[in-house]
Amino acid sequence: MEFMINFPILAVISLFLGAFVTSLAGRRSETARNAVVLISMATSLILVLCLIKPVLIDGEIITYWLGNWQPVEGWAFGISLQVDALSLFFALIVTVAVFVSGVYSFSYMKHDDSLVNFYTLFLMLSGSVLGLVLSGDLFNIFVMIEIMTFTAVALTAFRNNYEGALEGAFKYLIVGALGSTSVLVGVAMIYSQLHTLNLAQIAALLPSHMNPVTVAAFGFLFVGFGTKAFLFPFQPLAADAHAVAPASISLMISGVLTKCGVYGIVRLCYALYQNMDQPFVQYLVTGVGAVSMFICVTMAFNQHNFKRLLAFHSISQVGYVITVAGMGTMLGLSAGLYHAMNHTIFKGLLFLTAGAVQHATGTLDLDEMGGLSKKMPKTTILFLIGAASISGLPPFNGFASKWMIYQAAFERAADGNIFFLVAAVAALITSVLTLASFIKVAQSVFFGQLPESMKDVKEVDQGMCIPMWIMAALCVITGLFPAQIQQWLLVPAAKAAMNAAAYIDAAMGNGYAAANGIAASSAAAPAFIGSWNPVTWLLLLLSVTIAVCLVAVLGNPNPKTTEVAEETEGDDKFESFFSGEKAVFSQVGGSDLFWGFKHNWRKYFSFMHDWHSGVVNDYALYGAAAIAVVLALCVIFL
Amino acid sequence: MTQFLMTAFHVLVFPGALFCVVIGILLAGIDRKLVARMQNRVGPPLLQPLYDVLKCWGKETIVPRHARRGLFLYAPLVGFAALITTALFIPVLSYTAYSTGGDLVVILYLLTLASVTMMVGAAASGSPFAGVGLSREMVAMISYELPFVLVLLAVGKVAGEGSALGCTFSLQTIVNWQAANGSILFHWSMIPAAIAMLMVIPCEIGMHPFDVAEAETEICEGMLAEYSGAPLAVFKLSHCVKMYVMTALFCAMFLGGLSTGIVVLDVLLVIVLCTVVTFVSMTVPHAVCARLKVEQVFKFYWTVVAGLAAISAILVWFGL
Repeated sequence: MEFMINFPILAVISLFLGAFVTSLAGRRSETARNAVVLISMATSLILVLCLIKPVLIDGEIITYWLGNWQPVEGWAFGISLQVDALSLFFALIVTVAVFVSGVYSFSYMKHDDSLVNFYTLFLMLSGSVLGLVLSGDLFNIFVMIEIMTFTAVALTAFRNNYEGALEGAFKYLIVGALGSTSVLVGVAMIYSQLHTLNLAQIAALLPSHMNPVTVAAFGFLFVGFGTKAFLFPFQPLAADAHAVAPASISLMISGVLTKCGVYGIVRLCYALYQNMDQPFVQYLVTGVGAVSMFICVTMAFNQHNFKRLLAFHSISQVGYVITVAGMGTMLGLSAGLYHAMNHTIFKGLLFLTAGAVQHATGTLDLDEMGGLSKKMPKTTILFLIGAASISGLPPFNGFASKWMIYQAAFERAADGNIFFLVAAVAALITSVLTLASFIKVAQSVFFGQLPESMKDVKEVDQGMCIPMWIMAALCVITGLFPAQIQQWLLVPAAKAAMNAAAYIDAAMGNGYAAANGIAASSAAAPAFIGSWNPVTWLLLLLSVTIAVCLVAVLGNPNPKTTEVAEETEGDDKFESFFSGEKAVFSQVGGSDLFWGFKHNWRKYFSFMHDWHSGVVNDYALYGAAAIAVVLALCVIFL
Repeated sequence: MTQFLMTAFHVLVFPGALFCVVIGILLAGIDRKLVARMQNRVGPPLLQPLYDVLKCWGKETIVPRHARRGLFLYAPLVGFAALITTALFIPVLSYTAYSTGGDLVVILYLLTLASVTMMVGAAASGSPFAGVGLSREMVAMISYELPFVLVLLAVGKVAGEGSALGCTFSLQTIVNWQAANGSILFHWSMIPAAIAMLMVIPCEIGMHPFDVAEAETEICEGMLAEYSGAPLAVFKLSHCVKMYVMTALFCAMFLGGLSTGIVVLDVLLVIVLCTVVTFVSMTVPHAVCARLKVEQVFKFYWTVVAGLAAISAILVWFGL
C-alpha cells in the first residue's frame, strides 16, 4: 500500500485547501460554500479512516517526508509527518468532531452573516489541529498551535454582537499567546542543544543530552501544552471563551483543542523525554490534572450560564485524562485516552444541546429558563444521554472510562502510595459533583415550569438534531463495547506512545534508536481487574425494567390512569400542589439549588470567586507564575 | 433454556424482585413497629407498608399539567429496576447470583442511578416542592458519597490483601476472604469503617433523621409531592427494597463469614442480620433524633462519618 503514505498530508491539505476555496468560491453561492466545506471535511475524515488498517491494526508507522527530504547520515533536515497509533487515535477524534461540528454549523449558523469568513476560519482551525497531531516535527507543532490559537480566537469573537465576545476573545488571545510563546521558547532551547527539530531524532538524542537547558525546555513545553488544554491555572480562560463562542466552536475548543494539549503532554512525557517513569514527572502531571479536575468541577457547580458551566466541566474532564495519564502505566494511559475520546463525544453532545437551547430560546441563563422538555422533547432526551454519560452512569461511555480510571489509580496505589489514592477519591467525588451540576441543568432548563416568555419555543430542525443523534449514538456504542475499543484503539495507541524506539526507527532508519541507547519497549497489554462486561449488565437491567414495566402496566387494577389533555385546562386537580393556595409560577432555578452544600463551602467559593477575577492581567500573571513554578520544580527535581 | 429459566428465577424470585420486596416490606414494617414501641406508641401492623403499597396501587394516577408525562411515569420504574439489579449482585451470605470482578463500583453506580431516576422523575413533575426536594437529595448524596467510597476502599483493601492489585472490588472475593479469615467487622482496624457504614445507610435510604429530601413537614414530601397512584406505590416499594439492599450490602461487606453452608438457613440468617442492622442503623436514630438541617447533614457526613471511614482506610492501607 505504497500510496497510503500520502494520506496524512492529503488529509491535512484537504482542510486547508477547503479553507482557501471556501473564501474564493463561497461568496458566490451558499450551496457552493457548504458543498466545499462538506467535501473537504469528508475527504479528510475518509483519508484518516483509511489509515486505521495499516496503523492501528497492522501496527505500522507511516512517515511522510515533505519534498522527499529524507534523513541524511542520521540527520533529519526535512519536514515530516509521522503517524503512529497515538497520532492516528487523536486524528480520529479530531476528524470526527470536525465533521459533526461542521454539519451542525450548517443549520446552527444559518442566520449569521459573513459566513464565508466563519467557514474559512473553521477549516483552518480543523486543518491546524489535524496537522498538529500528525506532525513529526517540533517546529511544525508550534506553527500549528499558532494557527489553531489565532483561528480559535477569531471564531470565539465571531458573534461580536454578543456581550463579552470580544472580551473573551481578547483574554484568550493574551493568555493563548503566552502559551504559544512558552512552546516556542521550549522548541528553541531544544534546537539549540540538539540541532534538530524532528521529533524522532529529538526523542533519540534527548535522554543522553539531559542538561539544565533541556530540562528547562521540558518545563516550557509542559506549560505551553497545558495552556492549550486550559489546565490549572489557565481554567478561567476556557469559561470566558466558551460562553461566548458559537456552540459548534465550543465543541471544537472543548473537544478538539484541549485534546491537542493532552496529545502534546502525552507525546512530550512518553515519547520525547521518556521520563514518565520518574516519580517527579508522575506527581507533576497527576497533580496538575487532579487539581484542575477538582477546582473546575466546584467552579462549574456555581455557574448559571449553560455554556460556562459546560466549559468548566470540560476542563474538569480533561483533568481526569491528565491525572490518569500521569500515572505512567499502560493501564493509566489507555484509561486516559479512552476518557479523552469519550469526553469529545459527550461534551460535544452537551455543547450541541446547549447550542440548540440557545438557538431556540435566545438565552443561556439557567435562571431564566424552565420546562423546555415539553417544547423540545428530542433535545431533552439527548441532553439526558449526554448528562448521564459525563456523570458516569452505566451503561454510557463515561462509566466505562471512569471504571478504567479507578482501576489505574488503584493499580498505582497498590504499593501503598497515598498520593494516587487521594487522586482516586478526588475523582470519585468529582464524579458526584458532576452529576449534581447536571441535575441542576436538567431541573432548571428542561424541567419545572415553562416561563410565559417561552411559550412559543420550537424544537430545533433536523439539521441540528442529526449531528446530536450521531454523538448520542457514539456515547452508547463506545460505552457498550469497551473490550473492543480497548483492543482496537486504546492498546495500540498506548503501546505506540510508550514505544519510543519504534517511533524513532520508523523515521530515522532501523537501528538508530539502539545506537542512541533507546531500548525497545516491551510493554504488555494491561491487565484489568475483571472485565466490565456492559452488554450482559445492560441486558439484565433491561430485562428487569421490562418485567417491572409489564407488571406495572398489566397489573394496574385501576384503569382510570389519567391523561393530561388540553381539556384539563382549568381543572385544579392537575395543577401543581401548593398546600391549598392558588397556583403561581414558581420555577426552582439553577442558582437556587444545592444550598446546603454551597453554604458549607462558602469560604472556599468566595475565595474562588475572587481568584477568578475576570481581569486578563491576573490571568497572564497566573500563567507567568505557572511557568516560573514549573521551571523551578523541573530544575530542582529533574 | 435452563440458563434462561435460571436467569428468570434470579431476576423475578430469588434474590431478585420477589425476595427483595418481601424482605424489604418486612424490614420497613419491623422498623416502623420498633420506632413506635420506642416512642411508647402502639404502632402500625407489621405489614402496614404492604397495605400502603396496595392501596396506592388501586388509586387514580394524576399527571400534573406541568409534568413531562413519559419521564414522570416511567422514571420510578427504571429506578426500581436498578435497585433489583443491584440486589442481584449482593451475595446472600454463601449464595451469589451474579458476580464480576468489580461489583462494588457497579453497585455504587447502580445505587446512584436509582437516586438519579428518582430525581429525574421528581424534576419531570414540574412542582417547586419537588425542585427543592431534589436539590436536597443531591446534597445528601454528595454528603454520604465520600464516606461510602472510603468505606468501600477500606473493605476492598482488607479483603484484597495479596491479590494482584492489592485491592479488590469483587463482593464474592470479599465474602470468601471473610469465610477464611473471619468477619471484617471483628477486624479491629475496620470498626470505625463499620460505624461509618452504619451511618451511611440511613442517609442513602433517606430515613429520619437524614430525610432532608422528603421532610414532609417542611416541603411536603419534596420529590414525591406530585406523585399519586401506581408510581407512588413503586416509590414506596423502592424505598423498602433499598432498605434490604443497603442492609444486605452491609452484611456482605462486614459479616460475610457467618455462612452456615445451607442456603435456606443462610436466607433466614440474612433476614435476622438485616433486621439487626436495620435496628442499629435506622430504628434507633429515627426514634431518638430530630431531623437535621441540610447543611448539618453535609457537615456531619464530611467531618464525623468521613473521618471515621478515613481512619480505617488509612489504618488498613498501612497494613494494620
